[in-house]
Amino acid sequence: MTYLVQTNQLTKVYGGKEVISAVNMHVKKGEIYGFLGPNGAGKTTIMKMITNLIKPTSGDIEIFGEKLTDKSYDVLKRMGTIIEYPIFYDKLTAKETLDLHCEYMGYYDKKEIDHVLNLVKLLNTDGKPVKDFSLGMKQRLGIARAIITKPELLILDEPINGLDPMGIKELRELFKVLCKEYGITIIISSHILGEIEQMADTIGVINNGRLISEVSMENINHSQVDYIEVIVDDGKKAAFILGDQLHIANFKLIDDHCIRIYESSVSQKMISKALIEQDIGIEAISRKTSSLEDYFMKLINGGVVNA
Amino acid sequence: MLNLMRLEIIKFKLGSYIKGAVIANFVIVGLILSIMFISKFEGSTDFNNYQEVLTIIDSSVRGTFIIFAATLIAKLIIGEFKSKTITTLFMYPISRKKLIAAKLAIIILFTFCAIVITNLFVTAVFCFISESFQLLPDTLTASMITQLVPSVFMNAIAASGMSLVPLYFGMKKYSVPTTIVSSILIVMVISSNNGGFSLNDIIVIPIALALIGVGIAYLAIRNIEKIDVH
Repeated sequence: MTYLVQTNQLTKVYGGKEVISAVNMHVKKGEIYGFLGPNGAGKTTIMKMITNLIKPTSGDIEIFGEKLTDKSYDVLKRMGTIIEYPIFYDKLTAKETLDLHCEYMGYYDKKEIDHVLNLVKLLNTDGKPVKDFSLGMKQRLGIARAIITKPELLILDEPINGLDPMGIKELRELFKVLCKEYGITIIISSHILGEIEQMADTIGVINNGRLISEVSMENINHSQVDYIEVIVDDGKKAAFILGDQLHIANFKLIDDHCIRIYESSVSQKMISKALIEQDIGIEAISRKTSSLEDYFMKLINGGVVNA
Repeated sequence: MLNLMRLEIIKFKLGSYIKGAVIANFVIVGLILSIMFISKFEGSTDFNNYQEVLTIIDSSVRGTFIIFAATLIAKLIIGEFKSKTITTLFMYPISRKKLIAAKLAIIILFTFCAIVITNLFVTAVFCFISESFQLLPDTLTASMITQLVPSVFMNAIAASGMSLVPLYFGMKKYSVPTTIVSSILIVMVISSNNGGFSLNDIIVIPIALALIGVGIAYLAIRNIEKIDVH
């Protein structure tokens, strides 16, 4: 299996402190790779290392099958990026910004400028310098700049910050189109799971500079667990009854009223019958699937304990 | 390289600096002439010959454009690091060395040309008016001019080199004020004039400062590929 981007024991040390520790990430060609982790987990640092802005302390990065070195400038031609937040020479207008970008990238199809501005819905900004743009508009212009040269790899660091819900939806669709129809590989980071979940093919979870897990969305969907959730008036007593009478071991008292039962052999009917017989009031009982959020919270919290 | 320099000029709208240089030309002319006219009307004998006045013109022109160069350094280099636009620049498929070299080339060329042209312009205007109004007792000779030209050129080269010294101080904390202040200090050392004597006349000093400036520029380029850009 070949990967478009691959890191090998990638490590970065700042002032004696390891901010990135032995990260091995694998991005397949043509997929959307979601980079998920809390603020300060190291997402931006890794992305900056991939774009050669920050040099690794040890370990290496392979992009397009080549090892990244201090002098790897050509690979940058094949990438489009937004890192941290989009930064512009803010006295220029949107068109001038894109024009300048194309010149630096060595891309001379100037017709594309109007096309991408259309694509990200950034219209009627003629004569307005970028410094007067709202954050959402800057974000759109940043995306326009990242995609205008039709790169093979798109690196987007928190690209939906500052956008309104409509904008988020539009851009999500745009990223999917870029990936599926133009075959652009996208690495996208976010601390919002819901965002990543709806786009990504593979998710890399990072916390405290460590890549905790790298899973494909398909696998996650299979590994989800079912459970029965019961809301009762006296949780402790109910828990006792579950263990004592129904001999259920695999359940969890979430709080004073909520119990989750992970044993698949018991039915809701059995549980409610046993509880009612012991005079425990049941407010709700239902079968649920553990959400992706729980899955990742588990991963991230687990990471904290291990660190 | 020329293309990179062109892009820098577009990016920062450096046309306005040429406007600034033109304004500086007229201010220097006005200043020199008003000094000369006032001293003539008051009958003072501060200025006796062309040599003295031409030296003053040369050192004030150099002083002006060394500070001008510092504002360019502040905008083209320090400002890019400070406002983080350097991350955008360094993500282009162009060698970092070339990108910085293009900026330095603009600064050096601008400073050199501005000093030479302003010197010629101010000197020409001054000589013309001085001859017409008899501002000075002695007369302008052709040999004065032929002596003047090479010294203006040499001084302009030295000044272009030393105009890069503020880069060192500015890059320490990416500070624009530090850059400008250090350039003013250099000007105070080099362009001060005590009874016709200036430190610039000790030939070692301008040459040493110019070499230091070039050295600093070299250091700025040398390690640029290894540094982390945040």
